[in-house]
Amino acid sequence: MKFDTHSLPPASAIQDVLDATKSTLKDSPHEPHFLHLAEIVKHNLQFQHDWTSVRIHTHSSSQLSLPRPIVSGLPPRRAYIHPEEQVEILKAEHETGKPVEQVPEQEWVLPTHWDEKWTLNRFAEMFDAIEVVPGAETSQEEDDEEEDISIGYKWRGKNRQKRVLLSTVHDDSTVVYYIMHDGLAKPRQN
Amino acid sequence: MSSSAPSVAEPISISRIGGRYLIFDIDVVTHLRRAHRICGTPVGTLPRAPQQNVFSGLPMELMPEEACLLVETGVAYIMDDLTWHKENFPVAGHRRSEYLEEVHLIGLRASRAQENALQSRKQTALAKQAAAGARAASLKHIDTADADDEDTISMFHTDRSSSRASSTPTSGSAWAVTPTISYSTSPSQHDSKSQADVSVPSSYPLFVYLHMKGYYMWPGLRFGCDYNVYPGDPMRFHAHFDAVSFDWEEEIDMMHLVGGGRLGTRVKKAFLIGGKDEDKLEEENPVRTFSIEWGGM
Repeated sequence: MKFDTHSLPPASAIQDVLDATKSTLKDSPHEPHFLHLAEIVKHNLQFQHDWTSVRIHTHSSSQLSLPRPIVSGLPPRRAYIHPEEQVEILKAEHETGKPVEQVPEQEWVLPTHWDEKWTLNRFAEMFDAIEVVPGAETSQEEDDEEEDISIGYKWRGKNRQKRVLLSTVHDDSTVVYYIMHDGLAKPRQN
Repeated sequence: MSSSAPSVAEPISISRIGGRYLIFDIDVVTHLRRAHRICGTPVGTLPRAPQQNVFSGLPMELMPEEACLLVETGVAYIMDDLTWHKENFPVAGHRRSEYLEEVHLIGLRASRAQENALQSRKQTALAKQAAAGARAASLKHIDTADADDEDTISMFHTDRSSSRASSTPTSGSAWAVTPTISYSTSPSQHDSKSQADVSVPSSYPLFVYLHMKGYYMWPGLRFGCDYNVYPGDPMRFHAHFDAVSFDWEEEIDMMHLVGGGRLGTRVKKAFLIGGKDEDKLEEENPVRTFSIEWGGM
C-alpha cells in the first residue's frame, strides 16, 4: 500500500472532536487546553466506558465561571456505593432473598492532566463551586414530588457526600479515574 | 475493666531525652491509650528477649505531634530530663544516702511481695492436698477421719511457721532494683511551667483534626504516608486512611494522588490528603480533607 506523502493522514476520532470545538473557544471563559482536556475525558467516558448524557459544564449553577470545565454524565452502572449503603443492601438482600437493583447516579468528572500540579486550595475551590449531584438544579422539582426512601437512600442523591471522579489524562491517551470525596469518607471493603 | 485500671493523676510528665518524647510508666501508657487515644510506639528492648527487636517494651516514644497535643490539652507537660537530673538528682551527700535507702526499700518490698506470693501459692496447694487426703481417709475409715485431719493440720502448721520465719525481711534479702524513673509522674511535685514548646511537623493541624474526630493515629511508614488513621484502637481495627498532609498552597503531583489512591485501595483504605485551610483561619483548627479511592474503571 502506498502512502500519499503530500497530504496529511486522516485525523483521529478525538482530533475531529477537538477540531469541532474550535468555534466555541473564543467565547469560552477557559483556556483552550482546559476545554480540550474536558473533551478528551468526555470522549473517553463515552466510547471507552459507555457513559451516557455526558456534558461539559463551564459555569456553576449560579452562573459563575468554574475554575475549569468539568464533565458530568451517567455511568452504565453505579460508580460508587458507600460501604454503609452496601451493608444495608446486603441485609435487605439477605432478608428478602431478592437482589436490590442498583440504579446508576449522575457523577461529576474532574479532568486533569498527569503533568499538572494541584493544591488543596484549588481542590477546595472546585468542590465549593459544584452541586452535590450534577443537574440537581434542574431536576429539583421532580425530587420534591417523590421523596426517595428506598434502601440506602441516605447515601444517594442529594444526601450523598460531595464527590467527583478525578480523571487524570496521560499523553499516551491513558485516562485513570479516582473517586475523590470532599472530607473524610470511610473506605469501601472491596 | 476500667475499674481495674490504676488511676493516673494528670497532668502527667513526658520525659524529653535527646529530642525524643518518652514515657516510662506502664500505667501512664495504658491511661493515654484508653483515655486519650494516644498510642505511641514502644521502643525499649525486652529484658527477657534482648536479642530481637520485633517486639519492644517500655519506654514508649511519642511522636512530637502526640506530645504537643497532650501538652496543649493540659493532659501532660514536658519534663526536660537532662535539666531535671542536673538540678535534682542526688549525686552526693546525705540526699544520696537517702535516695539509696529508698531504692533499697523498693527492693525489699519487691522481694517481700515475691515471698508472699510464693507463700500463698504453697498454702493453697497444701490446703488442696489436705482436703484430698481427708476425703480419701474418710472413704477408708470413717471413724478415724478426725485423727487424720489433726495430723494434716499439725503438719501444715509447722510448715507455715517455718516459712514465716524465713520470710521475715532482712537487709540481705532485698533485690537489687534499677528504678526506671527518677521522678514520679504525679503532678504535685512539679511546676507545670517547666513545659517547653514542642517543635511539630507541618502536618500537625491534620493530626489534631483527625484526633478530635476520634481517630487513632500511628506513624505512617507502613504505607508511605504521614499517618495511618484508625477508626478505633489499632489493635482492634484496620486503618481507614493513609493520611498525607499538604500546606494550603503546596503543589501536589497528580502522580502522588494516583499512587496513593491506588495503594490505599489495594490495602482497603482511602488515601487522605488534607491540611490547614488558610481561607477559614477564623475557625478553630480549620482543616480541609479529601479522600481518594480508585474508581474501578
